[in-house]
Amino acid sequence: MSTNHSSAIGSAVHAKKAEIFCRDEARVDWHSKALWMLREKRDRAAASLPEWEQLRQLGSELKLHTLTNLGHYLEEFEKNCLDNGILVHWAKDGVEHNQIVHKILAAKQVKKLVKSKSMLTEECHLNPYLESQGIEVIDTDLGERIIQLAGMPPSHIVVPAIHMKKEEVGDLFHEQLGTEKGASDPLYLTRAARAHLREQFLSADAAMTGVNMAIANKGAVVVCTNEGNADMGANLPKLQLHSMGIDKIVPDLDSAAVLLRTLARNATGQPITTYSSFYRGPQTDGEMHIIIVDNGRTEMLQDKILAESLKCIRCGGCLNTCPVYRRSGGYSYNYTIPGPIGIAVGAQNDDTNSIPWACTLCGSCSYVCPTKVPLDKIIHHHRRLKAQAGKLPYGKRSYMPLVGNFMASETMLNCSMSVARTALRVLPGSILKPFSGAWGKYRELPVAPSSSFETWFNKNRGK
Amino acid sequence: MSSKQSILNALKKVAVEPQALPTFDVAPRIDDVIAQFETNLNTVAGTLHKTGGVEALQAHIDELTAQGKQVISTTDGIKGNRAVPGTAHQLRDIDYAVIPGDLAVAENGAIWVNNKNLGHRVTPFICENLFLVIKADTVVANLHEAINQIGLEQGEFGVFIAGPSKTADIEQALVVGAHGACSLNVYLI
Amino acid sequence: MKIALFIPCLVNQMMPHVGIATVELLEKLGHQVILPKGQTCCGQPMTNSGCFDEAKKTTLKLLNAFKGVECDAIVCPAASCLVAAKENFHEFDASPEAQAVIDKLYELTEFLHDVAPIAAFNKPFNHKISLQLSCHGIRMLDLATPSEQMGPRTNKVEAVLKAIPSIEIVYPGRYDECCGFGGTFAVDEGAVSAKMGKDKAQAHAETGAKYAVGFDPSCLLHLDGMMRRQKLPIETLHIAQVINAAL
Repeated sequence: MSTNHSSAIGSAVHAKKAEIFCRDEARVDWHSKALWMLREKRDRAAASLPEWEQLRQLGSELKLHTLTNLGHYLEEFEKNCLDNGILVHWAKDGVEHNQIVHKILAAKQVKKLVKSKSMLTEECHLNPYLESQGIEVIDTDLGERIIQLAGMPPSHIVVPAIHMKKEEVGDLFHEQLGTEKGASDPLYLTRAARAHLREQFLSADAAMTGVNMAIANKGAVVVCTNEGNADMGANLPKLQLHSMGIDKIVPDLDSAAVLLRTLARNATGQPITTYSSFYRGPQTDGEMHIIIVDNGRTEMLQDKILAESLKCIRCGGCLNTCPVYRRSGGYSYNYTIPGPIGIAVGAQNDDTNSIPWACTLCGSCSYVCPTKVPLDKIIHHHRRLKAQAGKLPYGKRSYMPLVGNFMASETMLNCSMSVARTALRVLPGSILKPFSGAWGKYRELPVAPSSSFETWFNKNRGK
Repeated sequence: MSSKQSILNALKKVAVEPQALPTFDVAPRIDDVIAQFETNLNTVAGTLHKTGGVEALQAHIDELTAQGKQVISTTDGIKGNRAVPGTAHQLRDIDYAVIPGDLAVAENGAIWVNNKNLGHRVTPFICENLFLVIKADTVVANLHEAINQIGLEQGEFGVFIAGPSKTADIEQALVVGAHGACSLNVYLI
Repeated sequence: MKIALFIPCLVNQMMPHVGIATVELLEKLGHQVILPKGQTCCGQPMTNSGCFDEAKKTTLKLLNAFKGVECDAIVCPAASCLVAAKENFHEFDASPEAQAVIDKLYELTEFLHDVAPIAAFNKPFNHKISLQLSCHGIRMLDLATPSEQMGPRTNKVEAVLKAIPSIEIVYPGRYDECCGFGGTFAVDEGAVSAKMGKDKAQAHAETGAKYAVGFDPSCLLHLDGMMRRQKLPIETLHIAQVINAAL
């Protein structure tokens, strides 16, 4: 939702970046398989609950209910937070969010901040901002730490370093953390990161986390991790910050339970994350801040179709199932969040105007989604919005009107297709291939019939 | 206008039709909740000890302390060799923490722990190994039931813990022991 | 029944054998088949590109071809085009006449399963087939329960085909993953489309089936190009061809 794109992502059309990703086919297969394994684990976890589809429906309804009463719930949330001794801040965009965070940290002379995974802070580009202000930011989720050390943005919202091979992580850790050269065993590397990050937790001046759910009637935030990094952070230094989009609100604990039941199952196939922590106030002598961020969300709520993308609970299930994401990688989307949900929430600011077309509209994502975000419908809608704004990629702006007229004319269609069929029949493939573009580059051209179906019908069934 | 006010104003014109909050009437699976709990605890890499009660646990802890392990207990009737320290950071060398859970959830192997029983909030995370102690009659079927029974008073912290900390961030290989405890043993009393 | 055929442009121009098999099988089942004149494109290439203005003319022309046509059902042997026609007719024409056309639209498998089931097949089909469950057919027309969805399962495609004597039906790995055709996606995103198509073609070939059989001609055309490029020992057939061969 921010217009300030990370330079590591860059702005080239999706198809170009995907084509480059696809050049190493063995790696594409490896990437696709790793993510498909998550989809399979998700299927098994979902199938183990007879009430799975009911939970999806409840998740969708409770999120829609909350989104349509968001002002009410946000105010209720704030009031309850204040009663619990939690300080609440409001930020209209990423810039204001970053300034608020910095102000809180500066007031306590914070030199080192430990941070657990938060797609919102990625969206706001918080790390570079704080670093420019002289504050050291340590990402503590293992995957996040890996990509932070590698100087890369996340390529997936749940498994941010999924694009890296263990040998590459081994080389990186050897250089940055002094692990043995050539060591690539995930257990060894994870233990090395544990030792390294433990020191960071113990020496941090403040901790920051994202928020999975914010419970309006309790004034509490729920933070889910498997690694325990959010809680190691938030519960050691005396200053804790939690950033949340306005869409993270749920009315009550009952609502949170529904989403907690589907979140991890849909993300990784686990019945629940290892830690689902409920913070309803700071620790003794501690200080707890919550920053509520808009950054384009209220604008999305003005569009009936786009609004539904705010039902998302960031499980990453749509990325894992997406056949295009798996074969084009997380860096081809020109947005911090890749895959179907990345297109849904990021297309407005995509200056390449190409990410809504990085999709076959197969619809798998919409069926996988635990809150029934109609992702294919939203992506289709983005194409329409782009077309209405005159922002079409791949030469569509010039050729689509021609196609429109051509397809609407039986005479033109019949004449030219007759020529095309003849050409396909009589000319050798080697002559046709250069003219057939992307089709013939990867596929054999169709075997052309001698006449159209209509000609056959009129000849054989005509009166 | 404050950012709060401008956000609240923008929220007055949401394009989606108003929708009622649904009723959460999900049927619980009530057959043998302890067995379900054990299966799911194993799935999340935890281990359940159903027999022996407090005595067996204390005996085990005595062995550990005899080996020089640093054990802290916040569980009534269980004694370790370390007291709750003045600061959270002083827990950094704790090998074992023994903490009472308020209730357990059959469908996912999770146990609810409230900060009243933690000393410092970081205790169940910073310890190298975690022992959670739960009463058999506190095992509920699912999260819908659990969420209505958890204690989370004003200003408090609580957490559902399902297994030891873990990660699969390197090539999807599951590694138990990320930043939190490296093992979880659950004692049913 | 009196059936009006909706033959999408791709079938008309490039895959007439699919149209012919559809006519023949419906006639063998005792239906009267007509082909309303003036059929054009359903508008899908344009609307799926976001270009609704450009789609309007051809969509309305196609709709007009069916308005007032006396028939019991309008049957189309292409799921994706049928879905697009339904949606686009609805988008551009809210009249009762348009709704009357929409209400009569059926994809061929859907028609043979829901409306006029086949009493019996006369001939065997002595081959193993690998079913190509294309996306729009299953996720927008409910021809089969998609793999993502839990709970009770239906599969109209298999239900229709399994009554054919001697037929053996199998499925490729990741059986309902998209084949990568996606209309203009095949050209706009050539590399990813090709990789998806290659993976799907190989998955079908790995079943050892002689034919990959589906209900969506565009996916089949794409897979056919992939199978021949990869020199895989498998060919594509449209479901109408298999049913026609068994009647």
